[in-house]
Amino acid sequence: MNPWIIAIVTVIVAPFIGGILAGIDRRITARLQGRFGPPIIQPFYDLFKLLGKNRIAVNWLQFMWIYFYLVLMITALLFLVLRLDILLMMFILGFAGVSFALGGFCSKSPYSHLGANRELMQMLAYEPVLLLLALGVYAQNGSFMISQIYASSTPLIARLWPIFIALLVILTIKLRKSPFDIATSHHAHQELIKGVMTEYSGPYYALINLTEWYEIVLLLAIVSLFVANPLWVGIVIALAAYVLEMFVDNIAARMTVGWMVRFVWAVGITLCILNLIWFWVFAAIKGVS
Amino acid sequence: MLPYNWMMAVAILLPVVAAILVYIIRQYHVRGVIVILAAIALIVNSILFLLHGKGTFSPANAQMWDMVVTVLDYLILLFYIYVGISLKNWLVLIFALTQIIPLAWFEFGMGGSAALAKIDPTFVVDHLAIVMCLVISIVGSLICVYAIRYMYDHEHHLHLEKSRASRFLFWMVLFLGAMNGLVFANNLIYLYFFWEVTTLVCFMLIAHDLTKEAIGNAARALWMNSIGGTALIIAMILLLVKGAPLSVNGILSGGVTSAVLLVPVALMCFTGMIKAAQLPFQSWLLGAMVAPTPVSALLHSSTMVKAGVYLVLRLAPAYAGTKLGIMIALVGAFTFMAASGLAISQTTGKRVLAYSTIANLGLIIACAGIGTPLAIAAAIILIIFHAMSKGLMFLCAGAIEHIVWSREIEDMEGLAAKAPLVTVITAIGVLSMFLPPFGMLLGKWMALESASTIPLAAWLFVIASAATIVFWAKWLGRLLQVLPKLGSKIEKLSLSYTVPLWVLVLGIFGVGILVAPIYTGFVQNAVADVIASGQALAAQGWGLTVSGVSAVSSTANFVVGNYPVWPLFIAIAIALLIPLIFVGVKPGELRPVYLCGEQAGGPDADEWYSTADAKVKVQLGGYYFQGVLGEAALNPWTYTLSIVLMVIMFAVALLAMGGAL
Repeated sequence: MNPWIIAIVTVIVAPFIGGILAGIDRRITARLQGRFGPPIIQPFYDLFKLLGKNRIAVNWLQFMWIYFYLVLMITALLFLVLRLDILLMMFILGFAGVSFALGGFCSKSPYSHLGANRELMQMLAYEPVLLLLALGVYAQNGSFMISQIYASSTPLIARLWPIFIALLVILTIKLRKSPFDIATSHHAHQELIKGVMTEYSGPYYALINLTEWYEIVLLLAIVSLFVANPLWVGIVIALAAYVLEMFVDNIAARMTVGWMVRFVWAVGITLCILNLIWFWVFAAIKGVS
Repeated sequence: MLPYNWMMAVAILLPVVAAILVYIIRQYHVRGVIVILAAIALIVNSILFLLHGKGTFSPANAQMWDMVVTVLDYLILLFYIYVGISLKNWLVLIFALTQIIPLAWFEFGMGGSAALAKIDPTFVVDHLAIVMCLVISIVGSLICVYAIRYMYDHEHHLHLEKSRASRFLFWMVLFLGAMNGLVFANNLIYLYFFWEVTTLVCFMLIAHDLTKEAIGNAARALWMNSIGGTALIIAMILLLVKGAPLSVNGILSGGVTSAVLLVPVALMCFTGMIKAAQLPFQSWLLGAMVAPTPVSALLHSSTMVKAGVYLVLRLAPAYAGTKLGIMIALVGAFTFMAASGLAISQTTGKRVLAYSTIANLGLIIACAGIGTPLAIAAAIILIIFHAMSKGLMFLCAGAIEHIVWSREIEDMEGLAAKAPLVTVITAIGVLSMFLPPFGMLLGKWMALESASTIPLAAWLFVIASAATIVFWAKWLGRLLQVLPKLGSKIEKLSLSYTVPLWVLVLGIFGVGILVAPIYTGFVQNAVADVIASGQALAAQGWGLTVSGVSAVSSTANFVVGNYPVWPLFIAIAIALLIPLIFVGVKPGELRPVYLCGEQAGGPDADEWYSTADAKVKVQLGGYYFQGVLGEAALNPWTYTLSIVLMVIMFAVALLAMGGAL
């Protein structure tokens, strides 16, 4: 298919999927908390309400980082649907995270500043796992191209299941779910107000919501790469992972930044490296025999 | 076009002449014009080298030049002895003696000078040397131009009675000539000579301000690099004993079994690693920060440390595929990781830059150790982009220092209001150091894609990458903090500042956007000159493609990785232009930030009413984690591990040589 058409369709369709997933999240979370919950399309109502509000800014730089966040997130998603280099995609996702943190840093607000500092700590925790995931893909396929993942007959999860587990931990951080909703939270936890997002309001806050929808789609698509053939199995696994995150969110309490970094490095990175060592030893044995 | 011997003379001798003129003529404007003319001549000359392509050169009256080099060698070493005695710095003295005694024995006792005189050609200019020459001549010259005004402001601030700027510019300009000689040298004694000149110039420049700290740090740089010089002499002695040719291309062409050469090669790489400030020798480069900022800019971007990585990269074929290569990769990768981690805890801007330089040099050395064509290409790409980005960063750091008169990151808060232009350029510099679509990230991406042969190195790269994001973003966050106010005036700067800054910004974007044609047209030749096997990268469509052979698929052109250069730049342009053109902020939209209390004053106030109506100013700060990642906490580990790695590196070379004998 023409890559331009794929790109345009992705840019248009992804926020709808992301918005509905966010609506499902709110519904399930409400049920878990014994509430009835809003309609599934509530996030869209919220988005349009926010878009209609007056623009308010705390300086001339703040909103620029949100456009960087949005555009880079879309770019990373396009890398995935156009089946390009997964390592480079991770670096672009990293840039998106950096722009979000810079959006928090740029105002002289203690809450957004503290949130931005914590956002960077979250990146310190998850970035190595995402890059090691790319190295794992190379170890299995001999290529960093996502197209090779789809072309390969062996699903990634067959040999990369430890990295898959690490990815699920990372997913909790990236989706801002407890115990790792440290830089900003979807729930009304008061200690940080709204963390990095404290100073965003109206249309700019709507853009953040929109970017988060793209991000949900991107993250679940990365999960689905682990069973790329047949794709529907991968999608089912990704949706199951998403529901799992909601359960974790509702049964876990928020942890501290230091605990998060130590936990992810101790568990996530160790799992990834053990996985890669296994590949290396395997290759060495194969080379000898 | 100039005759070849003239081009060589311009590259090496013109800076010497210009330096002497600058030293004699003490008038600010005339001196400035001489520096600018020399800069233009060097830049044009380096482009002539690029157009000419490969070449070799031996001076016409070789005997005379050999004599000059020998005499100057001993003069420099005698000067080190003098420095050691007069400063009562015994390390300087000891390592001067460990150079001068073996050198004399080697040249006159063992017949080394007779063997050296036979080396032909004296200079070999291949594509890697041309890359280095371009970096030295263009980035280095721009820094010299910047120094004209910087030293004026610097001395003005210090209230010096007698200007010492002439002396400063003398060493700065001389540095460029020594570096050009170093990268072209084929005869090892010429290499050694230029190596010593760079060490000497570095000593002089670090000590320039003559404070106690400056002299102490200069002496440290001197003795550490003297260890390197000693290693280089021992390498030459070993080569002579083994009957190997005493020239760079002689070592690489492998006249003798290469395993026998591994020990001298390891020694030469060790020399390069000291000059490239690899752990555990990082302290000389950190100490060099006391010097005026143009010195740091020159040392970090285009000269000195780049000589170190150049030598390691140059020797790549001699250790490619050996265990020595693996160890060199691990030393580099470990430095990359440790220095990136240490950078998080640094509160001084220049020290963050220094650790980042050490880290990136580690990455380049690791690439040389990995030794595949892709890794070598990554190393060369990193050298080019690091020179531009780091040069720019230091020039910005110098300009900021002359605006806020501080080097602390926390003092740079709100700089955008005082100096929007410098702030924006600094932000571009920071972004270009670690994010796509800029060249440094391309290099890092290539390094990671090539690292699969040495998995441990790849894992160290990954950890280092994460740390890199944290320390740069943290700094950028402090720098780009702005109050709710519009319309800050753009500051006026001297042309001597703005021209180098803008040229480097233009270079970062220009070379970054055109990286694919530049790669195929010219970097690829340099890669082939270092290690002649296989193609690393190909320009394809809008980007660069890594291809390889796959065990899984039998396709001939199996795609391993793809870096779409232009789409990434387009994405960044969209992200930048939409808000600038279509959105914008109007004064009426500005609101004060939420401080959980009543603000004292208008929207741009950063004070609020605390308990008992006392006005309190909001104070924010970054995370530095000095308890966990500080030098005091990490250094015992990093020193131990890096020394162990270096010892293993030599052990591996010795064992390989033992096996070959």
